[in-house]
Amino acid sequence: MDKPSTPKAELLEFIPRPSRPPVIPTDGFIVKLKKHLFSNIWNTLLTISVFTLLFMLIKPFLEWAIFDAVWSATNRRECLAISPDGACWPGVIQWLNGLIYGRYPIDQQWRINLGFGLGLAWLIPLALKQVQQKILIALSAIILFPFLGNYLFLGGSDHWFNYTVACVALAYLLILYLNIALTYLGHKTPGESLELLIGHFYQKRAALFGRLLIWLIVTVLLVFTFQNLTLVLVEVDSWGGLFLTLIISGFSIVMALPIGILLALGRRSQMPVFRWFSICTIELVRSVPLITVLFMSVTMLPLFFPNTIQLNKLAQVLVAVCVFAGAYMAETVRGGLQGIPPGQFEAAKSVGLGYWYTMAFIILPQALRAMIPNIVTSFISLFKDTTLVSIIGLFDIMLMARNISIDKDWLGLHTEPLIAISFLFFIFCYSMSQYSHHLEKKLKKSR
Amino acid sequence: MSDRRAIEISGLNKWFDDFHVLKDISLTVLEKEIIVVCGPSGSGKSTLIRCINHLENHQEGSISIFGEKLENDKKSADIIRTNIGMLFQNFNLFPHLTVLENCTLGPIWLRKIPELKAIEQSTTILDRVGIADLAAKYPGQISGGQKQRVAIARSLAMEPKIMLFDEPTSALDPEMIKEVLDVMIDLAKSGMTMICVTHEMQFAQQVADRVIFMAEGEIVEMGPPDQVLKNPKWDRTSQFLEHILTH
Repeated sequence: MDKPSTPKAELLEFIPRPSRPPVIPTDGFIVKLKKHLFSNIWNTLLTISVFTLLFMLIKPFLEWAIFDAVWSATNRRECLAISPDGACWPGVIQWLNGLIYGRYPIDQQWRINLGFGLGLAWLIPLALKQVQQKILIALSAIILFPFLGNYLFLGGSDHWFNYTVACVALAYLLILYLNIALTYLGHKTPGESLELLIGHFYQKRAALFGRLLIWLIVTVLLVFTFQNLTLVLVEVDSWGGLFLTLIISGFSIVMALPIGILLALGRRSQMPVFRWFSICTIELVRSVPLITVLFMSVTMLPLFFPNTIQLNKLAQVLVAVCVFAGAYMAETVRGGLQGIPPGQFEAAKSVGLGYWYTMAFIILPQALRAMIPNIVTSFISLFKDTTLVSIIGLFDIMLMARNISIDKDWLGLHTEPLIAISFLFFIFCYSMSQYSHHLEKKLKKSR
Repeated sequence: MSDRRAIEISGLNKWFDDFHVLKDISLTVLEKEIIVVCGPSGSGKSTLIRCINHLENHQEGSISIFGEKLENDKKSADIIRTNIGMLFQNFNLFPHLTVLENCTLGPIWLRKIPELKAIEQSTTILDRVGIADLAAKYPGQISGGQKQRVAIARSLAMEPKIMLFDEPTSALDPEMIKEVLDVMIDLAKSGMTMICVTHEMQFAQQVADRVIFMAEGEIVEMGPPDQVLKNPKWDRTSQFLEHILTH
């Protein structure tokens, strides 16, 4: 017999139903309003009272700040004569340059604008989709830009080292843009052309040498191009305003992350020396207020140096703020490291990755991603904390704002400058937080 | 199977604090041999293969890979890296990298293979385990069986001679177990030296050269699958097998 003795029961064929599009609520604005704000008597009362309260708070402020405010006057007395109950903005407007640039000479302020413009230019490629090797660009910005900024902002004719390094940095930026443009147009970059040329003689590191060579050539060209240009020396003492605030906070934000990562790794290290060094640094710095660290670095640090060495106040402040921010960042990063399941370490080890590769490719990317909200929170609070440097006599935006009130024309004008800089701070902090949300969303997509 | 000794374990003892996990384990695995390790939970079978891969340190005894004794140094780490690949119960893929990047990471950074060539090789391996179409996905977007196959591909990309499997199918739905076992059977036939901690007795029956039964940190029984699975010498083995086969 060919067929089996017991025939199989006939099975029904399963055909899945077609999927339907999801149901989208079609409530109008009025219906939504009713549902959320006026759903019953109690909620209606609550809504009305909250709105009344808001109205009572906002109306007087708007009247003072906008409707009754004075926009043009030459001194405070004039302001008071025009509208005694309104804000006196002319003081802030007149001092706006001081708020932004501090006491930096007006005819040299283009250097600050140029410097920040170049800094932004360095960051733009990071937002472009087509650009490759973004980590390299970010690293170059972190390492090279401070030198470029330093020379531009400080100037001086005998700083040949600063001048050369600034040219190296500028050369990198120029090549970066040249490469992006050429790649976009579908041409070979000069580095790649040189790579082919070198490849004829020396195969092994041709790509690296090609890029280094083109970098060197552009640097030399720049050094000769600008050799007759001398920038007037502007001492650090006359740096100030928003410019100084951005330098201090920008530098410490950029440095805090690497310092924090190193300290966090040190704290989890198997090697007792590193572990104890990290623990001591973190705990010591975290148990002292920032203002104390600042005072110590400005008043005590010089005691350890011979009299002949004149320490730069800004540098001392930068070191202090960086160490302080780094210690806090270390604990944030450590929190992220602790959230990584041990399986990841084991998998990395079984693939054969060593400690640094494991950290760089597997653990830190995940830990930092998970910690973005916390890291940005630290950055924001660091940005605001930098106003403390006004106490030790650096003319940052805070001190410039307070200076308006002792100007003889605007004597006693306290509120308006503070509100103005609050507004500035809000813009900066809010954009930082929005950027972190954007980053989180973007990274979530890739999971 | 050849006569070359791939793994040689002698007098291995290991304690977790004062808990004696492995008691005087001695075992020689020949090249291209397929060994299945089974036993109740807590019997030390996972710990045994984790010791071979140096994920755990042992306190007594020695482990040699192709005649080279493992120490706690860089040279041993290299021996392990170039010879041994390992699979885990819960896959442990790198969630922030795509399937392809999971596979190419090791070849590019450790074996220093040019990126394009590494991508080509990994794509071939992904094709071999049947998931070349998932190369651009992230681990969070694929099923458990697919994840385990990516993990196999990730290990294979390092071209190991020995593969260790730590319960590779225990975290999988019944429908997905087969797709992973098929890949493992395929590997076994290709001449890979394998030690599998698993409770898939059919797999053991089909491909294993030897089956090891462990209990309480000891090797209770060891031999060809027919002998251990059908005519065990010890009551402990037969009790365990009864549980497994009737569950």
